[in-house]
Amino acid sequence: MAVLKVSDLHARYSAKGPEILKGISFEVEDNDFFAIIGPSGAGKSTLIRCINRLVEPTSGTIIFDGRDVTKLNRRGLRGLRRDIGMIFQEFNLINRMSVMDNVLSGRLGYTSDWRTLFRAFPRKDIDHALMLLERVGLIDHVDKRADELSGGQRQRVGIARALMQDPKLMLLDEPTSALDPKISREVMALIKQMAQELKVPCLCNIHDVKLATEFCNKIIGLQDGVTMFSGPTEQMNEEKLGEIYAMEVL
Amino acid sequence: MKTETMTSGKESVGSTTAKLGGLADEIAVKRKRSRMMSGAFSIFLLALVLWSVDVTVIKDTDWERIGSLENVLEATNRFIGIDFELFSNLFVPALETLLIACLGTFFGLILCIPAAWFGAMNITPYKPVTYPLARLMMTLSRSIHEIVWALFFVAVVGLGAMAGVMAIAVRSVGFIAKMTAEAIEDIDYRPVEAIRAVGGSPFQVIYYAILPQVLPQIVSVVVFEWEINIRRSAILGLVGAGGLGLVFFRQMNTYNYHGVTTVILAILIIILLGEAVSYFVRRRLI
Repeated sequence: MAVLKVSDLHARYSAKGPEILKGISFEVEDNDFFAIIGPSGAGKSTLIRCINRLVEPTSGTIIFDGRDVTKLNRRGLRGLRRDIGMIFQEFNLINRMSVMDNVLSGRLGYTSDWRTLFRAFPRKDIDHALMLLERVGLIDHVDKRADELSGGQRQRVGIARALMQDPKLMLLDEPTSALDPKISREVMALIKQMAQELKVPCLCNIHDVKLATEFCNKIIGLQDGVTMFSGPTEQMNEEKLGEIYAMEVL
Repeated sequence: MKTETMTSGKESVGSTTAKLGGLADEIAVKRKRSRMMSGAFSIFLLALVLWSVDVTVIKDTDWERIGSLENVLEATNRFIGIDFELFSNLFVPALETLLIACLGTFFGLILCIPAAWFGAMNITPYKPVTYPLARLMMTLSRSIHEIVWALFFVAVVGLGAMAGVMAIAVRSVGFIAKMTAEAIEDIDYRPVEAIRAVGGSPFQVIYYAILPQVLPQIVSVVVFEWEINIRRSAILGLVGAGGLGLVFFRQMNTYNYHGVTTVILAILIIILLGEAVSYFVRRRLI
């Protein structure tokens, strides 16, 4: 069953600006680890941000978990976002807060403003956070400030924060681009392992084609806002890659 | 061919020299004109200064009251000396001055919450209304002198420290809010995006993603403002708003010149104290 269905999605940042996405369609199913590949400027980041409406699409439909995403009101949008975890290229942590507070911030969508004011998260949230920190290997760094950690450790905090939401889908925006090759592989493996265990489908922007073919079961290839390839990873080959990345070669 | 080019080359050199000559004349005229202009301006400025001295100093001073140079030195001499009997009466007003500064800064900080929120271009709730409103608050606060604010609040709530606290609070808003709003406009947006993505409300975005980033700057600005507020509260007593200023005013009225000097020294001491605290707190932050 498809947890996410995107059809004929168009997006542009301003009325006169260039069209970034020119009619993208795809479906993410329950157990997918779905990769979006393509050169810089192809629209990968815009596409992934349309799913949780950090960027407003201009037209097209997005159906997530039975909800028509583009038609949601403020309240509905908040509900949508807390069901979708997101991991960022540059981690997007709150540097001056502790690892624990950063992970707990994944629960903000479930927390009232009043509780937020006193950072009074329920005990079960704290237990959950500790469990996740144990799983991502940061149990010894709970009280450290986020900016004291290394890049790989910070991304692990990002993973824990996203999983804290009990997400029904994870959006990964170039989760390994800021990391070195060895750590990249470790982080991807961790994400995949956690996602499979918790049965969370993932939609992943990824620059590195090798990592994409290694970890993802389906791939969509974008070039300049247009789908150049869409299908299972096995169907991807050198020739098609050449087409997708043609712009970069030139 | 070759000769032709030579001649045409000579010609072009000649015409260039002619052109340069014209340009030199033009520049010479321009420079002369600008010299005359600056000369005229200097004369005008000198005349303005002389006229000001005539009106404000020569005509407006009571020369008979000043008398000879000797009289002036004698009048100055009256201030040299300390009134030790006043010491025990200075402790409470000095404390009051400090407390007016502390409370005034604190309430000023509270007033800054809406002012900074509305006044930061990137988070102001409804730009056409809330942004100008905040700018108005900041300008009003800063462009009216603390003595004038104090006179206003003395008229509203009567004599005493409360008027002083209110005057200091209102006077503090402008600077703290302006610096805070500017810090908010310079934040890193990545945490903001993250908190929006987890389903955070606008309040949660401000509280989790923006506030931690600007907090060190806010603390630094508030401590700085507190230090200035000690200076301000020390003189507010002149208009009846409590603190050391009131004692100063009384010494002046009773012609106790040694008392005046004593109060000035007391003010100096608490200001130095404030400066020292401010220096150490801010140095730790940066």
